[in-house]
Amino acid sequence: MLKIDSVSYRYRDAATPALQNVTLEIPAGGVYGLLGPNGAGKTTLISVLSGLLTATDGLITLDGIPLAEIRSKNPRAIALVPQDYAFYPMLTVAENLRFFGGVLGLSGAELSSQSESAIAFARLEQVVGKRAEQLSGGLRRRLNLAIGLLGKPQLLLLDEPTVGVDPQSRHFLLDSIAALPAAGTTVIYTSHYMEEIEAICQKIAIVDQGQVLAEGTLSDILHSPEPLLDIGLEQPLPEAIAQRYSATIIGEQKYRLILPSTVTLQNLLDELASAGCSVRNLSLGQHDLEQVFMRLTNRSLRD
Amino acid sequence: MSPRLLALWLKETIALTRDKHGLLALFIMPTIFILVMTMALRDAFTPGVTIDVSYSVVDLDQTPISKALVKRLDRAAAFKKIESTNDLGAARNQLLQGKQSLVLVLPKEFGSRLLTPGGTDGKPADQMTLLLDPALSPTLQLAFRNQIMAALGSVRADELTVKAGKLFGLPVSSGSMLEKDWPDEIRSEAVRSNDNAKIPSSVQQNVPAWLIFAMFFVVIPVSSIFIIERQQGTLQRLRAMGVPFHLVLAGKLLPFFIVNQVQAAMMVLVGMYLVPQFGSEALELPSSLPLLLNWWAVSSAVSLAAVSWALLIASIAKTSEQATIVGGVGNILMGAVGGIMVPKFIMPASMQKIAALSPMAWGLEGFHTVMLRHGSFADILPSLTQLLVFAAASLFAAIWLNHRALAAQS
Repeated sequence: MLKIDSVSYRYRDAATPALQNVTLEIPAGGVYGLLGPNGAGKTTLISVLSGLLTATDGLITLDGIPLAEIRSKNPRAIALVPQDYAFYPMLTVAENLRFFGGVLGLSGAELSSQSESAIAFARLEQVVGKRAEQLSGGLRRRLNLAIGLLGKPQLLLLDEPTVGVDPQSRHFLLDSIAALPAAGTTVIYTSHYMEEIEAICQKIAIVDQGQVLAEGTLSDILHSPEPLLDIGLEQPLPEAIAQRYSATIIGEQKYRLILPSTVTLQNLLDELASAGCSVRNLSLGQHDLEQVFMRLTNRSLRD
Repeated sequence: MSPRLLALWLKETIALTRDKHGLLALFIMPTIFILVMTMALRDAFTPGVTIDVSYSVVDLDQTPISKALVKRLDRAAAFKKIESTNDLGAARNQLLQGKQSLVLVLPKEFGSRLLTPGGTDGKPADQMTLLLDPALSPTLQLAFRNQIMAALGSVRADELTVKAGKLFGLPVSSGSMLEKDWPDEIRSEAVRSNDNAKIPSSVQQNVPAWLIFAMFFVVIPVSSIFIIERQQGTLQRLRAMGVPFHLVLAGKLLPFFIVNQVQAAMMVLVGMYLVPQFGSEALELPSSLPLLLNWWAVSSAVSLAAVSWALLIASIAKTSEQATIVGGVGNILMGAVGGIMVPKFIMPASMQKIAALSPMAWGLEGFHTVMLRHGSFADILPSLTQLLVFAAASLFAAIWLNHRALAAQS
């Protein structure tokens, strides 16, 4: 279990902290998603977990042992796959893997075996002799991930690992990452793509402005006592009603409203009738992550 | 051997071998410089060789004495003589057209008034005139004047001898005296620590100079790899893997040290075998083992200074362009003031003091101590100390800058 307890971080000269009292409990052996827009604090949290930044406050432990202690005793225990293509473009795929393996202290048969496993996992067999600079964006992402797997880390930190790749490569990467916990690795996965988080993460934290806004399993977060109502009208929705029910436009004179409870549905219909709005159709539905995020932050994930 | 350091060395070596531009700068550039500069400066380092500046004499006197002076000047052979027409106007035109640089005009009655110059016989002075190309360097003007004075002095001495002989009734004929060839009475000898003294040639001056310059050009490949590492987040990844910054630097030191030593071997071979193909003298290395070891000690110290300096520049520069400009211009300045491009001995005293601040000058001094003066280890110790202190200071500065940059993030 990775415990992040009241961790804060402020960049020098920054007006506001990048992380504010972040507290999370991340179970071992799963993919844990950190969802938030650009600038939410996801990369800062990943940097603190990887040791690149030192938290100004708070404590992080892995199975009860401070993370810094684990890192100094066994640098292979925690691996970071950064957003950038953090490898050597002039080296081949095999040379990059051998180099980073060597830096982790691997040598001889162990280095060969782990390089081969990483190549096989990322399906890089066809390009092992190619220089990294000659690879496509998708293959570079796979190499970036493969390097992170060297040393068989206990905790793997993936910072937006699918940025800038084609849908096919993204699909492959997501499938690969989802399979990692089976080998005993705990994965922390950051993204601002909610469909990725929904696809592979068992637990999720929604982060914005350095704070955790919601945390739990996907169904916990999506479950809300406030039902959604999709409604089609003959006339535009009056402004006062739109504000009261946090309405969003989803089509031509079609709106999505958040009801405080199902009981309020009759009140809403009465209000529409007295405002002279005729209802064409309506349906009650469940929130998706985007809606949850908008409800929590009043802005979109892609802002 | 630490597998981490081994991996860093191997990576750096592979990356370097694939940097074609960097290799070109490290090996081809100094070869060309050595060839070109050795040819260009060959005469400047060879005593007795004719200076490629022409002169003519307009002899308005046409006496045996004036002809003797012209002959003496010609025999000095330091400047190139052009046959003159004894036409002053034509000589002036030749100067204006840049066809010659110096014209000596001997006035009428030059011979008859040889022993009464400057109007000492009561008649108005009628001096010799030296017409000059205004573009000619003051040093060469002075050198030619000195040659005229030397020739004039010897002709005057001969004439005095003749006159004294006549006065005392000695059997001396003026013609035979003025025709006399005086031997070169000055022998040049370079002072070294052993008996095999020989004057240094252009190649012995230029090979170490351009080798040092080339060694400092490791700044280009060092910074290009370093900046890729920083811009692509590879340095961050290495830090997350627990690789300290000083180990990253150590991983670069050895491969580039080896590159510098390969450069040294190659430039020596260029000096020994390629330069003679272009008509210049071959480079001679000291033949004894202790002197060769001293030579290698200087080469190693220059290399450590060069690589450390390159690592400092790479730590400061944000982009490859910055590194190329800061590193390249810095090297050219160090070379210019350090006696690489312009030999230190022809600089004015104030510039020679500034030259003493250039690490390239320390290296060149070390090489010259071994190659030209056959100095002992104690003799090269000052140069080695300066270079190694510079290397250590550059490395510490690079580590400190990195530490400060990381602290700024926290």
